[in-house]
Amino acid sequence: MTARWMTCGVNLEREKEPSLRGEIVALPAPGGLPAPRTFAPLRKKKPGRARILGAAEEAGIVDELDGEPLARKLSRYAARKTRVLAAVCFDDDPLATGEQAVLRENTAQVLAGLELAAAACGAAERKIAAASRREVRRMRGACPGVGFWAAGDRYPALAVLRLRHGAERAGTIGAQACAALAEAAKGRAQCETVVTVAGDGVSRWMNCRVRLGTPVGSVLQAGVPDENPAVVAVESAVNGRAVTDLSEPVGVLTRCVLAFRKLPRRRALPCVGCGRCARACPRGIVPWMILRQLESGAPDPVFLLGVERCIRCGACGAACPSGIGLAAVVARAEAVKEGGAAPCR
Amino acid sequence: MPLTKAAAPFVRGGLTVAGMMRNAALALLALLVLPVVHYGPRPLLLAGASVLTCFACRVLVCLVRRTSVSFSEFSVLVTGLSVPMLLPLNAPVWLPCAASAFAVLAAREPFGPFGRNPFNPSAAGVAFAALCWPQRVFSYFDPSRPYGFPLFGRAAYRAAQSPAAVLKEGLKPDILPLDLLWGRTPGPLGTTAILVVGACGLFLFLTRTAKWEITAGFLGAAALIAALYPRILCSPATSVKYELLSGSLLFGAVFLATDPVTSPRTFSGRCVYGAFAGALTMAFRWFGTYEQGVCFALLIANAFAPLLDSAVLRLRGWEGKTHEA
Repeated sequence: MTARWMTCGVNLEREKEPSLRGEIVALPAPGGLPAPRTFAPLRKKKPGRARILGAAEEAGIVDELDGEPLARKLSRYAARKTRVLAAVCFDDDPLATGEQAVLRENTAQVLAGLELAAAACGAAERKIAAASRREVRRMRGACPGVGFWAAGDRYPALAVLRLRHGAERAGTIGAQACAALAEAAKGRAQCETVVTVAGDGVSRWMNCRVRLGTPVGSVLQAGVPDENPAVVAVESAVNGRAVTDLSEPVGVLTRCVLAFRKLPRRRALPCVGCGRCARACPRGIVPWMILRQLESGAPDPVFLLGVERCIRCGACGAACPSGIGLAAVVARAEAVKEGGAAPCR
Repeated sequence: MPLTKAAAPFVRGGLTVAGMMRNAALALLALLVLPVVHYGPRPLLLAGASVLTCFACRVLVCLVRRTSVSFSEFSVLVTGLSVPMLLPLNAPVWLPCAASAFAVLAAREPFGPFGRNPFNPSAAGVAFAALCWPQRVFSYFDPSRPYGFPLFGRAAYRAAQSPAAVLKEGLKPDILPLDLLWGRTPGPLGTTAILVVGACGLFLFLTRTAKWEITAGFLGAAALIAALYPRILCSPATSVKYELLSGSLLFGAVFLATDPVTSPRTFSGRCVYGAFAGALTMAFRWFGTYEQGVCFALLIANAFAPLLDSAVLRLRGWEGKTHEA
């Protein structure tokens, strides 16, 4: 464990302990939500590909990693002849711990779902992508028959993992989608999600299992928030979005509800040229050069090469010591390159 | 409760520009400790006067430009602290003030806000002083005798040749290694205590304030040249020892060359930049008139920094490194 001042970029392992300490708390479903839907379960012990995809479709499972319907994702993987299917059981976020907690508590469900998903897309190998080597050692005994990957502790760990193992060869699905697929085989639709409540504006950090459609506000209340948090963010602490309406329903993509006492630091200083943004970028973009090009007023599209590869992970902006919103800069550069939009803000 | 529609990211990496500048200022302040212990409070006066001059010049520029005065970035403080480190303790108080005034007014502010200056302000300020008042910049007192330097006014001291000047004459400096490490040698105020400079460098690298590859390239190139072309008749190892440990070479490699604003932004660019600056420094020692060439060498290397960056990016085809391969 390195000290805070020694790290560069966003360290994923820094603030996960508090919310992982307790078990997942099931929050009561608010009134007014319809009862969970049920349908005919899969009867065979080893169901065929079409039946699994049908069950996933019927259960309305959405992968929490990217919001893609699981049935579509699995048929995409099947068409691509994916060899390895990995269940992503770490959270690519410094504060969220939902996936990790799901793996720890619902191990059997995740494994069963992963097996079904692998059967559906024809993947020969099944992997569990765990948060760290320590997590791999901890979970290895409980997961027979699957291999393990350890994610790095720097922020876009998922993107780096996908690139490292080849997006063509390896497919990734979320741990919660796996668990939901195991439930779907029993005839239950996806109706819950695990959400982490954290941030310095919350006194009780925890993971809670909530019904889809519960208002964000009532999830936040479970964490005993401060009187006046300045920002409430969902999805991710690095590239998520702030919510202003707490009655917004929790979705599969919500992942975490974070309350912060203070506003994020605004851009205070110009670029000092440390080059950390280029080091943080998993796609090999050089954001400082793009910023310089855009600030010059007449960017040369030749020098904006690579911007179309951006995956909006926001690692560059989070790593910038000057607090420049580099993710927005790269997005603007992409617009400039594609359609000749005005380079200045 | 009113919630703000703020934009991501909501967390950031631990490092900020203010933190980097604070670390650099702390390391520079640590360099003042040994001189204060040895020679009384005069080093503090020099450093304080220089810092005050820098701030005054900054305020002046802000007033002329009609912009708001903000010191949030501490960079002026770092400039003000590193200028007197390169000047002798027996210099009159106005000398560091003049050098830092030049640093801020001519090398930093004309180029716009912080982060735009192409040349290292401290190096430019000291180079200016060395060109205008070479006798004052390169005359050092003999630290082997106890002196009490008065805070203000002129002190009576016996001049001595610094190890760098002795090397320039082609002789071997007659100095105990321990004195060289603890800074009991004639030389610029903050650069003689090799151990402290090294420790500060280690602190800067560990806190990721400075990039180690610049210093490594700088010292590596300087050591290579010192070993291949010794200026004095001795073994290569002795030549390397005296060249690296004399004068302001190590200080320049640790504090001046690693300035993120004026150094290249790509890793390979920084390696080449460091080696280039180190080689230039040795060239100035060989062929230059003055015993110290670090500041001049750095200014020349600064001019090449953007070129190195674009060369590196061009070699990579403007594509950058990718993890896909």
